[in-house]
Amino acid sequence: MSVLRPQDQLPGLNAATILLVGKEDALLQPLADSMLKEDCASTLRVHLAHSLPLPSDVNRPRIDLIVFVVNLHSKYSLQNVEESLRHVDATFFLGKVGFLVTGAGRDSHCSVHRNSVLKLAQAYRSPLLFCDLEVEGFRVTMAQRLVRMLQICAGHVPGISALNLLSLMRSSENPCLEDL
Amino acid sequence: VMSARKRVKSSQTPRTSQHSNSYQTNLLAWKLKEDLSNSRSTSKHGQNSPVEDSEQADADEQAEDALQIAVRYFEKGPFKTSRSKDKTLEKHLKTVESVAWKNGLAPEEIDILLNVALSGKFGSAVNSRLLRCMIPATLISEDSVVKAVSWLCVGKCCGSTKVLFYRWLVAMFDFIDHKEKINLLYGFFFASLQDDALCPYVCHFLYLLTKKENVKPFRVRKLLDLQAKMGRQPYLHALLSLYKFFDPTLISVSLPVKKNIYFKNSENLWKTALVAVRQRNQEPSPEPLKLMLGPATVRPRKRKWNSHSLIPVLNSSSHSKEYGKKGMRLSDYLSRNRAFSGEQLKSFPQLLQNIHCLELPSQMGAVLNNSLLLHYINCVRDESLLLRLYHWLSQTLQEECIWYQVNNYECEKEFTNFLDTIIKAECFLQEGFDSCEAFLYKSLPLWDGFCCRSQFLQLVSWFPFSSFSEVKPFIFDRLAQLFFTSTIYFKCSVLENLKELLQNWLLWLSMDIHLKTVTDSSLETTFSGSMQSVFELIHYVGWLSTNALRLESNSTFLLHFVLDFYEKKVCDIYINYNLPLVVLFPPGIFYLALLSLDSSILNQLCYIMHRYRNNLTAAKKNELILKKKSEFIFSSKTYQEYNHYLTAMVGCLWTSKPFQKGSYFDPEVFKMIGVAKYKTSLNLVHHPALLSYAISFLLKEYPEERTVNVSSIRGKKWNEYLDYLFSEGLQGLKLFIRSSIRHSSVP
Repeated sequence: MSVLRPQDQLPGLNAATILLVGKEDALLQPLADSMLKEDCASTLRVHLAHSLPLPSDVNRPRIDLIVFVVNLHSKYSLQNVEESLRHVDATFFLGKVGFLVTGAGRDSHCSVHRNSVLKLAQAYRSPLLFCDLEVEGFRVTMAQRLVRMLQICAGHVPGISALNLLSLMRSSENPCLEDL
Repeated sequence: VMSARKRVKSSQTPRTSQHSNSYQTNLLAWKLKEDLSNSRSTSKHGQNSPVEDSEQADADEQAEDALQIAVRYFEKGPFKTSRSKDKTLEKHLKTVESVAWKNGLAPEEIDILLNVALSGKFGSAVNSRLLRCMIPATLISEDSVVKAVSWLCVGKCCGSTKVLFYRWLVAMFDFIDHKEKINLLYGFFFASLQDDALCPYVCHFLYLLTKKENVKPFRVRKLLDLQAKMGRQPYLHALLSLYKFFDPTLISVSLPVKKNIYFKNSENLWKTALVAVRQRNQEPSPEPLKLMLGPATVRPRKRKWNSHSLIPVLNSSSHSKEYGKKGMRLSDYLSRNRAFSGEQLKSFPQLLQNIHCLELPSQMGAVLNNSLLLHYINCVRDESLLLRLYHWLSQTLQEECIWYQVNNYECEKEFTNFLDTIIKAECFLQEGFDSCEAFLYKSLPLWDGFCCRSQFLQLVSWFPFSSFSEVKPFIFDRLAQLFFTSTIYFKCSVLENLKELLQNWLLWLSMDIHLKTVTDSSLETTFSGSMQSVFELIHYVGWLSTNALRLESNSTFLLHFVLDFYEKKVCDIYINYNLPLVVLFPPGIFYLALLSLDSSILNQLCYIMHRYRNNLTAAKKNELILKKKSEFIFSSKTYQEYNHYLTAMVGCLWTSKPFQKGSYFDPEVFKMIGVAKYKTSLNLVHHPALLSYAISFLLKEYPEERTVNVSSIRGKKWNEYLDYLFSEGLQGLKLFIRSSIRHSSVP
């Protein structure tokens, strides 16, 4: 089971599971904590992984949303995400994948250009979110947004599906930031 | 150096007493030392200051004496002989540095030291250290700069010193008291562009300095040559586009319209010092004026301005002269009579009397807090003033924006206040600033939708009128992404601000029609193009709303905001703004409102339908009178759509024949679920939003009754029931029924 598929398992009762993929434990752990603190009707589960594929011998719940966290301050971070993406089944990209970019605020520290992440997100037809996870205030807001997305992806918001949300989030053709 | 600076910084915190103030004035009027030291001693006795304060003052005094010695040392130049030369030099340099970073230097000291630095008396390392600490206490006199520039011609200083000097000029530009004489040297500066190392900095300086009369064909040619030689450098591009802005006919080559920051702020070495200078200039702060018209409104503000705000206080050249009143010469008096400074300006009549000789503050940002000066820059068509303001604004927005400075997010309050002031100024001028537009482009993707939410969204609502489809990817698509993943409160505030945006656009367009200045607009769009843009904005909000209602499981709260958008702005465009546009709401909103459980929603819907009717009939009437079909959005489709909605509403509420046309419901389904009388179940009596009214109406008549039959409301009673509903405040329903239903047809 090296490739993750959204329908591999049956959904758990009232459970919504998010998988955060990224190398920066120091950023992901607090984000996960903030998410779990959110008031939410579903039973939230947050899984953290450095990279994909996930070990195959473990029993884990169905994953409803995968968020790849890219830190612009490290080239390795982007590389890691790019490699992990290969282990995700195409059907996941029907609204159950997101990219979260951190570190965009401080231009001078960036070793990865924002455009390369933008292109990545466009190539995978998935929404791109920006948030500087180091700042607590921003992190909490982002956690809130992720929980909302997760609830939709897990099918807990009646009348809206993950694919539906994706089509709402995807703007016509995102222009490159260079052209701004 | 570092340790000295550190010390300075740490000792900066307790520097808030009155004493440091008096010390400052003393520093400023260095030549009038005797007078001021007298006044200082009296003030010391008068105030009974605590011990630490006087100690602090003593320390300051000592530092000051040391500074004077140091300045004299530099003025006289190095002595060749002694071996201790290096030590003395180091000591004096440190003194100057510490005083400069702590309190800034007086204009006279800057004058002397700037001369020293550029004359090449000392080595280039010393020169650069001196230049780095040329931080004004308040202002820099123009003459010092002119003198310094004259040293550049002698060729005694090396390239790196020159570069540093230009960087210093750019950083301190706002603190130079006059710019007329400097502007006379424009040709010299322009010639310096040829130096490859200097070019970026000279460009930046010229960008700040250029006035319309400086733009000459030969300079344009030179710039284009330079661009051909050096490639598309952002700084050359900036200067060229400024030239093009001043004189579009001179430059025929097309410059890509980039919303970009041309100059890097990160290169500013004096950033912290500048904040301190601004703070200092603010301390004797006069109360900022309220942004209102007329003399009666110039009242001191009640709320104290925050500890230090980012907006400089009005401070024109005459301010510095006030300090040395004794030494003022006759010519100063004469020149002062000619120029009327911003601080003196207190009332609107004053503005009118002095409008020909008004002197603007040396720091353009100060106008944001002054309504009269805002009037002035708005009506006097001097582009260079606006450009200076915009330049200052974009730089400050960029530097202070909290989501760019991860370490600095404590200054959120300060930034919020700054945004508030900008918004106030925009409201006052009733137009958005270009710099805010650029700021939105750049920062919206990084915004988390939470911090400074109200300010940020207000900036969106002041977004200047533009082609919707062009700005959509940059602004509205990004906003949509935030919108769909954020809380219901965020959604409501976005809708609220988009309503404001629509209003601003509509006002702008309706003004535009009256003034017949469509061609004047920078957009150069046709009128129908503008209408199309408004149409697209309304359509976009409709799309947002429909989906938001689905996401928020048809929340009544949200629906109120959605209907508000249509009620206050959209349905009355034709009548209120005299623009040929009627856009109906999408079915997703209409049917939700019609089937709502909330009587106020239904009432609002009725009112909107009533207003739509008025607008459409007025449009039709005009069409008949003018005998020409309006070329814009009045397709017959709009009327059909309206009629369709109207039929549905009347069918539900009045005739009890719901959804006859394009039947959405299979009667069999109703039978299956056991609703036999589905036809009447949405009329005014049985409608879930009104049922409680019907019951209380019946109970009013028969208070004793234990079971009421609402179906008994028909015929004459129906009319009484209607009056009852109207008396309960359902005015929208009243207007709708009066206008859209013939009264003979009571069911």
